[in-house]
Amino acid sequence: MKILVAFKSVPDPYAGPGDSASKSVINPFDEIAIEEALRIRERSEATEIVGITIGAPAVDEQIRAALAMGVDRAIRIDDARALDPYAVARILRALVAKETPQVVLMGKQAVDDDSNQVGQMLAGLLGWPQATFISKIEFLDNKTRARCTRETDGGLEVIAINLPAVVTTDLRLNEPRYVSLPGLMKARKKPIEVLTCDQLGVTVQPLTTTLSTSRPPKRSAGTRVESIEELIVKLRQEAKVL
Amino acid sequence: MDFAWSEQQRELLSAVDRFASEQLNYDVIANDRDAVFNHEAWKKCGAFGIQGLPVAEEYGGLAQDPLTTVAALERLGYGCKDNGLLFSINAHMWTAIIPLFYNGTEAQKKKFLPGLCNGSLIGGNAMSEPNSGSDAFRLATTAAKKGAKYILNGSKIFVTNGPIADVILVFAATDKAKGASGISAFLVEKGAPGLDVSRKIQKMGVRTSPMAEVFFTDCEVPEENLLGKEGAGSWLFTRSMTWERGCILASAVGTMQRLLETCIRYANERKQGGQSIGKFQLVATKIVDMKLRVESARHMLYHCAWAAGHRKAVYLEAAMAKLHISDCWVKCCEDAIQIHGGYGYMVEYEVERELRDAIGSKLYSGTSEIQRNIIASLLGL
Repeated sequence: MKILVAFKSVPDPYAGPGDSASKSVINPFDEIAIEEALRIRERSEATEIVGITIGAPAVDEQIRAALAMGVDRAIRIDDARALDPYAVARILRALVAKETPQVVLMGKQAVDDDSNQVGQMLAGLLGWPQATFISKIEFLDNKTRARCTRETDGGLEVIAINLPAVVTTDLRLNEPRYVSLPGLMKARKKPIEVLTCDQLGVTVQPLTTTLSTSRPPKRSAGTRVESIEELIVKLRQEAKVL
Repeated sequence: MDFAWSEQQRELLSAVDRFASEQLNYDVIANDRDAVFNHEAWKKCGAFGIQGLPVAEEYGGLAQDPLTTVAALERLGYGCKDNGLLFSINAHMWTAIIPLFYNGTEAQKKKFLPGLCNGSLIGGNAMSEPNSGSDAFRLATTAAKKGAKYILNGSKIFVTNGPIADVILVFAATDKAKGASGISAFLVEKGAPGLDVSRKIQKMGVRTSPMAEVFFTDCEVPEENLLGKEGAGSWLFTRSMTWERGCILASAVGTMQRLLETCIRYANERKQGGQSIGKFQLVATKIVDMKLRVESARHMLYHCAWAAGHRKAVYLEAAMAKLHISDCWVKCCEDAIQIHGGYGYMVEYEVERELRDAIGSKLYSGTSEIQRNIIASLLGL
């Protein structure tokens, strides 16, 4: 069984205010998808894990991190544009046609834009079943089906899907392993294939345009009140919440 | 000399940075108080690849040159606050792994090195005796050949990792009449008949690194566990001691860098008399001196490792690096406490522990006085 695991490079969500803004990491949800792919292979249920990402050469650092974790080989779609989820899903569809995996794994969303759309759109484009927000996956019937536990607002939902399928991972699925030094050394020998959208035959036209971005309005400082009576008056007359 | 890191070295070093600061700093205060070794952190270091840094890949190592190895250990010291764990790792690497890697037979290397590299085995080294420390080669411990075995008798003191070691490199006299040329080295495995390891010896610092006294009473060691030739012990010891002196304080350079940054932060935050204490010249001067010490220590470390990597003899460089870095480390820790004032003396600020951990560096792997003797003799005095 071949697994395609898609990951996005995002600004480090744990970087402090003093840290350099340029530091990027693998989207934490995608890191969980990579870890799950590795565990599936370690259970001898997968034979190959191919990592895919889209970006400028700078994302090779995150690709090497994925290879160091244990991904077998990687493909980078050389495109530095900020692509919308539909464009990403179409690129992934072309890669699925090229690689013919049984499972496409990815995080449920990226922590930079929180779109939570690519997995669903990809499944739609491929006409494949999807299991989103999973916290558990098991393969059934000689790996022709998978039983997935989904984390929903109402609780846990267990579904069975036919393969091939698109699966997106939630936070509690696993804890990703640490990149070890031997892993880093092995990663240097693993191939990174670089392709363009043209080579894949995908024309990317954004469906959305960002008109403007703005920061939330700054909160003004609060005021102190001298008594409960004054507080109640202010809540009634100024805040109008009583 | 070129200390500009390649892209691959940078990648490796930044991985160590992250690993050390995120994976090893838990229960350090309690473990120091109770003198507890963090076995889990040891295993993490092994799985991450620390212990195997200088060992060839065929034996489970990473085949890094000395300069990359010490730079990685420097980063480990920068991120990891458990100096006892670092001391145990250093003793394991320089006094067990290195002699084995350079002098072991193929069978010995295949048997021990993969485990010693991946964290599943712990190594130690037993040289000092109750009546033989700086006068290293006057050993009372003897080894007599009997059939296919050597029979060891005597005792060793200050055996780092002794209580937890799976294999200890023991030096013993096979021919007392020959003095230094009559010393041989043996790989003594845990559970060997006649081997006794004492309870943990309590120490002032590096308390999380267990130390023991080791006794041999007709202790049987199979002849295939002789390391190097019979009588080659002192040569083997001197060679591994050069590695040890040159590298054992690599992590201390990282520790000093961390202390420097801690002090700068504190001196900027702490206000007295309406200004940051860093604005007081007496405090600023201390921090400037710390910076000079860290930089000079780092250069001596790198220079020694660079020379070792270019197959130069580094007896002089290693002795100078050991002497200088240990002096700098202790002084840095004193200054760090002074800058933190009364808080620096309190356990929870984690500054006082650094001084207790640093002081031993002027004693182990040859005292500062012995280093000066070596340097003097190499200068023709």
